Amino acid sequence: MGEVRAESLTANDWGGGVHPYRIGHRKLGMWLFIMSDSLTFGALLVAYSYARVASVNWPTPFSFYPSIVFSSVMTLVLLSSSLTMVFAVSASKRGKKGAARKWIMFTMLFGLTFVVLHLFEWKHLIDEGLAPFELPNEWIEKFPGASPLFGSTFFGITGLHMFHVLTGVIYLGVIAARIRKFKDEDVEVSGLYWHFVDLVWMFVFPLVYLLSVDYHGVLGK
Amino acid sequence: MVDIKQREVTTLIMILVGMAVLSLAVAAWDVVSNGFRAGTDDVFLIIVCLTLALLFAVPPLLWARANGMLKNPFAEEAVAEGGVDMEVAHGEHGGSDRQNVIVWAGLLGLTAFEVLLAYMQVNLTLMLIILMGASIIKAALIIAYFMHLKFERLSLILTIVPTLVVLLCLFAILFPDSFRLHNLRPVEPVQQVEHEG
Repeated sequence: MGEVRAESLTANDWGGGVHPYRIGHRKLGMWLFIMSDSLTFGALLVAYSYARVASVNWPTPFSFYPSIVFSSVMTLVLLSSSLTMVFAVSASKRGKKGAARKWIMFTMLFGLTFVVLHLFEWKHLIDEGLAPFELPNEWIEKFPGASPLFGSTFFGITGLHMFHVLTGVIYLGVIAARIRKFKDEDVEVSGLYWHFVDLVWMFVFPLVYLLSVDYHGVLGK
Repeated sequence: MVDIKQREVTTLIMILVGMAVLSLAVAAWDVVSNGFRAGTDDVFLIIVCLTLALLFAVPPLLWARANGMLKNPFAEEAVAEGGVDMEVAHGEHGGSDRQNVIVWAGLLGLTAFEVLLAYMQVNLTLMLIILMGASIIKAALIIAYFMHLKFERLSLILTIVPTLVVLLCLFAILFPDSFRLHNLRPVEPVQQVEHEG
């Protein structure tokens, strides 16, 4: 790191040199992973929008309770987990490994809360009869011609996101368990991953949930 | 040696300026020749062209500024960024806890606004535009402050952000095709049931 700083003070932005980006290889690797992963989610969300626009009708089944309340609380939880992760990274930078571990634990707790809430939400929809290529009978009645692709896009996108959250919790668990062996940069890199998972949800939440709100209370009438 | 490097840089800058002008020309050509007859296809093509033009124009503009050809309209901001840069160099990464809490509160506020918007019955297209706008602002806040990109070296920012924007735009360019599929449908789409009350 010594040379990095010495160089950073002299070189200009396009000077190149040994550290053209002034970050370590781990962090650069995580940024590259994040770029590829955002393309994965980007492709899924574009595919979902395509399927939705190209369908004759698309169900808008989410009632205020439980779906919108749950998903809003999930957003709050995920955003707060990002904040605690920021605190973890800054504590670890200041050399307070114990505090960093505590903040990472909070982040993991928020992450698990998110997953549990999301599974409740899934269970509620599955109980209604939603399956990857099948709509509940009530929805078919109330939304004539609705595309059965609703289930596959919903479970596909939110499922992949939930998988990312779970992976993130395991990743943070490893970092927290061995925090004294890891460098500051490792904590920061795990933070990058976590914030990315939060960022993806910022697109999934409006596109999947908020655009499918059941304003008129069609279901359950 | 220095001369060769200077020449290389000037050549690259000229190529970039050429690409930017070309992108603008394609956008202008599309407007003139087609007059938005293809609807959303045109809008998407123009957005992609303008984005590309902007991205190609950034390095030449920075180069012009560095060579004193262009006065920096954000002089104060540049000083502030310089200050942050020094902080980074000393290993004290920018962005205090207080600042991060403010960003978090801002993100929550935007989310609340989005949820509220979902219950105000505005036109679907308008709602989609506002929701996506708010989401892009939220993503930018997360990337800049939480993921710390604002405090990284400019070369890293200019490597990551334009690449992502261009690639995501390339996905988006497929999207208008979904409208065409709808228009080609032989039968009238089933009307959504009207609800009384």
